Amino acid sequence: MNDIARDPKADLGRLEKLEGIGCARKRREDPRFIQGRGTYVDDIHLPGMLFGVMVRSPYAHARIKSIDTSRARALPGVHAVLTAEDLKPLKLHWMPTLAGDVQAVLADGKVHFQNQEVAFVVADDRAIAADAAELVEVDYEELPAVVDPFKALLPDAPVIREDLAGKDVGAHGARRHHNHIFNWQIGDRDRTDRAFANAAVTVTQEMLYPRVHPCPLETCGAVASYDAVKGDLTVWITSQAPHVVRTVVGLLSSIPESKIRIISPDIGGGFGNKVGVYPGYVTAIVASIVLGRPVKWIESRNENLTTTAFARDYWMTGELAADADGRIKGLRVNVTADHGAFDACADPTKWPAGMFHVCTGSYDIPTAHVSVDGVYTNKFPGGVAYRCSFRVTEAVYLVERMIDVLAQKLGLDKAEIRFRNFIPKESFPYHSALGLDYDSGDYAPALQKVLKAVDYEALRAEQAAKRADPNCPTLMGIGITTFTEIVGAGPSKSCDILGIGMFDSCEIRVHPDGSAIARMGTISQGQGHQTTYAQIIATEAGIPASVIQVEEGDTSTAPYGLGTYGSRSTPVAGAAVARASHKIREKARKIAAHLLEVSPEDMEFDLDQFHVKGDPARAKSMKEIAWAAYNNVPEGMEMGLEAVDYYDPPNFTFPFGAYLAVVDIDKGTGEVKVRRFYALDDCGTRINPMIIEGQIHGGLTEGFAVAFGQELPYDEQGNVLGGTLMDYFLPTSVETPHWETDFTVTPSPHHPIGAKGVAESPHVGSIPCFSNAVVDAFAHLGVTHTGMPHNAYRTWKQLRALDIAG
Amino acid sequence: MKITIEKSLDLPLSPTLAWAMLQDMEGVAACLPGAKITERVDETHYKGTVSVKLGPATVSFKGNIEIADSDPAARTLHIVGTGSETTGTSGASLDLHAAVIAAEGGGSRLSGVSDVTVTGKVATFGARLMNSVSEVLLQKFFANLAARAAAIEAAQPASAPSEAVGAAPVAMPAPAPVEASETKLNALSLIWAVIKDFVASLFRRSKAT
Amino acid sequence: MTKKTAVSFRLNDRPVDVLVEPRELLIHTLRERLETTGPHIGCETSHCGACTVDLDGMSVKSCTVLTVQCENSHVLTIEGFAKGGQLHALQEAFMQEHGLQCGFCTPGMITRAYRLLQENPSPTEEEIRYWMSGNLCRCTGYQNIVKAIQYAAAKLRGEIVETSHPMMAEVTA
Repeated sequence: MNDIARDPKADLGRLEKLEGIGCARKRREDPRFIQGRGTYVDDIHLPGMLFGVMVRSPYAHARIKSIDTSRARALPGVHAVLTAEDLKPLKLHWMPTLAGDVQAVLADGKVHFQNQEVAFVVADDRAIAADAAELVEVDYEELPAVVDPFKALLPDAPVIREDLAGKDVGAHGARRHHNHIFNWQIGDRDRTDRAFANAAVTVTQEMLYPRVHPCPLETCGAVASYDAVKGDLTVWITSQAPHVVRTVVGLLSSIPESKIRIISPDIGGGFGNKVGVYPGYVTAIVASIVLGRPVKWIESRNENLTTTAFARDYWMTGELAADADGRIKGLRVNVTADHGAFDACADPTKWPAGMFHVCTGSYDIPTAHVSVDGVYTNKFPGGVAYRCSFRVTEAVYLVERMIDVLAQKLGLDKAEIRFRNFIPKESFPYHSALGLDYDSGDYAPALQKVLKAVDYEALRAEQAAKRADPNCPTLMGIGITTFTEIVGAGPSKSCDILGIGMFDSCEIRVHPDGSAIARMGTISQGQGHQTTYAQIIATEAGIPASVIQVEEGDTSTAPYGLGTYGSRSTPVAGAAVARASHKIREKARKIAAHLLEVSPEDMEFDLDQFHVKGDPARAKSMKEIAWAAYNNVPEGMEMGLEAVDYYDPPNFTFPFGAYLAVVDIDKGTGEVKVRRFYALDDCGTRINPMIIEGQIHGGLTEGFAVAFGQELPYDEQGNVLGGTLMDYFLPTSVETPHWETDFTVTPSPHHPIGAKGVAESPHVGSIPCFSNAVVDAFAHLGVTHTGMPHNAYRTWKQLRALDIAG
Repeated sequence: MKITIEKSLDLPLSPTLAWAMLQDMEGVAACLPGAKITERVDETHYKGTVSVKLGPATVSFKGNIEIADSDPAARTLHIVGTGSETTGTSGASLDLHAAVIAAEGGGSRLSGVSDVTVTGKVATFGARLMNSVSEVLLQKFFANLAARAAAIEAAQPASAPSEAVGAAPVAMPAPAPVEASETKLNALSLIWAVIKDFVASLFRRSKAT
Repeated sequence: MTKKTAVSFRLNDRPVDVLVEPRELLIHTLRERLETTGPHIGCETSHCGACTVDLDGMSVKSCTVLTVQCENSHVLTIEGFAKGGQLHALQEAFMQEHGLQCGFCTPGMITRAYRLLQENPSPTEEEIRYWMSGNLCRCTGYQNIVKAIQYAAAKLRGEIVETSHPMMAEVTA
């Protein structure tokens, strides 16, 4: 961290000019967005560009008997209609997923989920392409569909993946059924079983985390442009991981990565939806190579909601063993994971259930065991997405619901039971029963701060009074979550994507005039990297943020990185930024010493300059040092002032938080009003409080959406219901509650600037908080769990089942 | 998405005439707004289309109809149909059991139970409308059938028709659309009819079908 | 292909002429023929409002307007707000109040808020939230958007305004 001893008053001016860590710096990206001059993929127009549209299957499960593209190809303005047959010679009709499975690019003889890609039409403009898509005639033979993961595992269930026939070992071990993908286990089963056998009290709860979708406002798309003369491929793409896309495209196309340029320009929200490679990207690239012209593919909202990376669909059974005082002695979890027709989960390779094993949460649980079964169904592929940091949303939902279930069983206050189980501060770094090493945490003061801010005792008193009053028109509920999440994937020894370790990178070059350019391997989709990375460099290298140009997303210039998802930018790339800045600073120290004719050990760093220890008047500013770097450096030193850092994190980081929600449920209509929501987050060092707060608001709102309305259900025929914004709940400004935010700061001991990463936390923590509040409203009537989404209709049904007047 | 529709219609025709009317696939199809038989493949297999005009656009289904079972003695019919929308975004299938039963006064009652399954865009976008739309379509269908029945009745020779099953072929007027304006189902009148039906259903108690 | 129609209208105060099929939507004409990519496409059921423009003094979702309906109309998009390098009060407000993150909903939001403040220069928070309910945002949770609109309203009324996020508030020197 900073080794500065300075006079606060004297330096406030220079500190403000630097705009370093901790400032509410206004965003560098804003000027272009507020003037409509952002460059999103659909804004790209190239000369000769063609437009591509996907033809998709209306059936969830069917054989393709024939595809007749003649009428489509005959339409004037149509340049190509691709089917699997056209991709076969290039071996591109199937492609590998990030989870060790394969996915059809264009359906090869069979469709496995409704809206699966069957053909790709390329035409002069979007209207002709849409007309031509309707002229493609596909003859289907419908097959029975299975959309229930438990029915999918019955002996006579239809075979979904004929391409895996006979393969009883998958990427993650043995498969015990033709629709089974993997079984993954972690923890000590025997020790946990013994803890349960000897426990004074045990509780069990089944819960479903329904299938939802991140639904960023911008849908996915790509503009592929192959230059046949130079043999270069350039692709503008909505991707949260452009370098990974370049490597995948290189593998699939056999074009060397040096001739592939992937550009992620401005991205209209990612939330995990834009990590994987989608068939539309591949067909656009193939079409561009074949036709020698740029080809644009932009999906519709319906395509986005029903075919791109979904989230959750975890059927979980949690069990807690405890003593009579509510001290947890063991945790047991069984999960049936519905992965859809292809396992396209964007997890690091070795973790088919992501980081689900953080499900021991903020609690000191001596033993635990988890078993997860992945299953194929006739639904679209995906699984890991939506601000979840690799299944952390599911893990935290489970443990936070279970501890409430335990509290209700024992008649304990839901805040009190948490205090009794928190990992104490002295135990950090803490080795959890499921093998994770939590870096730092201080849970009790966080919860205390929240309870004090909302006057918790008064709220409980109010709830008791309302429960005693038969005429009260509402049921009042209080929900608490004290969550710990695991972010910042990750140490390369355990985390890789397609074999590439999950490090990240930063390269900084300081110009002669003292300004600088910096590039990283991550890519912002609204997180404000252009603003915040410059703040890190400002503090760590003494260069004013206002003269630092930050660039990301162009694989021809940015150093290799694994992208932005799972809250990893600050913990991983941010660390690389800090370390590269330190390298710059240390070279600057030597140059300054040379200029002042002293030894480097006599130099002291002070905000934006080096001065001689004990003699502040003899100083050289970073601006002066930058100039000197290009003409007057010590003997034997190279000219220039730049540094690169590739950071392989030694561990994940573990941000945490304490949230409290107060809800009032109308007994007549079942409508749930969120009266108050207090969110306290601890992400370690806070780089830009304004940006953190904005991200918390956004994550809480997405959590509100999941808890109170979002779902993508299927009917028996495999029709996906709710695939447009008519049905899929995106909250507007009217129903979104008012959010109160607060914070504590517990730095990460292993991170160069103590930062942990933030902004998936509000999504991870708020969803169980809302559920806990709704269940708490019914707790006095014996209800231990109600499934999401908690929309008015479902809550009303609960009220009816309990015979509550209204 | 799957729904089951049960409907019956009283006809001023003897069971023999009613059964004969049912056998005339082209005539029956013409009573369903927007539908027609395009090809008679053989005794029990037909191809047909149904078109719905939605403003300037037309949504068309084309498919196959099979008479899976026909029992002239019991006057029961089992029809199976499958079809897909011509732009390829939806599919539908129908499983219909129909019967002609003698009613008092010499007339007959035509009753049918159909399982209708839809997939694709129609199911995604139209699921919540399916019952109301089917209701309205079938009302029109039955109105047309009743009118056709009346026309058949009027076209019979003056001598009393025989009640015996398997009597000589009956004079059957050529199938003609009942009202020229009904051949393509107009979406605006459909939507209005659906709304009326929905509001009416709110006030309906038990409905005798 | 259907015969095309010539349509002339004013876009951000300059005259434009296009040749379009009757079925062409205004949003596509703006984005593909007139190089006006500020308004965005976020859905196809006219829910999201990312395509919002100001047409003859009314907020409209340009995905639900046919270009042929715009003959002789005045269309204002986000590109028409800054004048001579000077940002409109709403643009300054969104930046000062952190009313945007990914920026995709922002052109529609600002265009809609412009019409709100034209009709109601002193809206309450409830009125702001109601008026903006046709514009969806996934990033901000709307709280800072409301503040941005309040900031702009105050500025347009001639009051002194200050950001809710003072730069050094959390820096302990």
